[in-house]
Amino acid sequence: MAATPTTNPSQLLPLELVDKCIGSRIHIVMKNDKEIVGTLLGFDDFVNMVLEDVTEFEITPEGRRITKLDQILLNGNNITMLIPGGEGPEV
Amino acid sequence: MADKEKKKKESIFDLSKYIDKTIRVKFQGGREASGVLKGFDPLLNLVLDGTIEYMRDPDDQYKLTEDTRQLGLVVCRGTSVVLICPHDGMESIPNPFVQQQEV
Repeated sequence: MAATPTTNPSQLLPLELVDKCIGSRIHIVMKNDKEIVGTLLGFDDFVNMVLEDVTEFEITPEGRRITKLDQILLNGNNITMLIPGGEGPEV
Repeated sequence: MADKEKKKKESIFDLSKYIDKTIRVKFQGGREASGVLKGFDPLLNLVLDGTIEYMRDPDDQYKLTEDTRQLGLVVCRGTSVVLICPHDGMESIPNPFVQQQEV
């Protein structure tokens, strides 16, 4: 993309960390009270994500929501945090 | 035109001085987290280590100690970040805008 302004190259770039996580479990926290745990297959420049073997959690009503298999495309618009190797809220 | 070329992608704030320091981050949607800043990019995506997330509930009205969770190493989406500040540089004060209601 643009030339790196004043960042020193030996630090950890966020999207590099997400890239390393491809193939393993990742836990996605959305802006609202929803969380998604799945295996990361890939992502794009907007951090839309393709996940597999996905479990969706709804935090406020305290419980697991839906378990979806196959693949999903998660819209990156509402993603707040990405936790590599995360297993989701333990309830 | 040459001047516009220079100003293409300059950050108004240099986060490299916060590297390896604990920062507090607030997100759209009311989430807050703090952790050690390990990395960032010009779009304000962040890498935080040892992250603690604080969540706001209706009846919790921003009491920090309730509902914190340890998240470990996380990536924070820059599109969702609304505030970044050093963790040490702030303290909680009583609400200065609330008048004492005596009615």
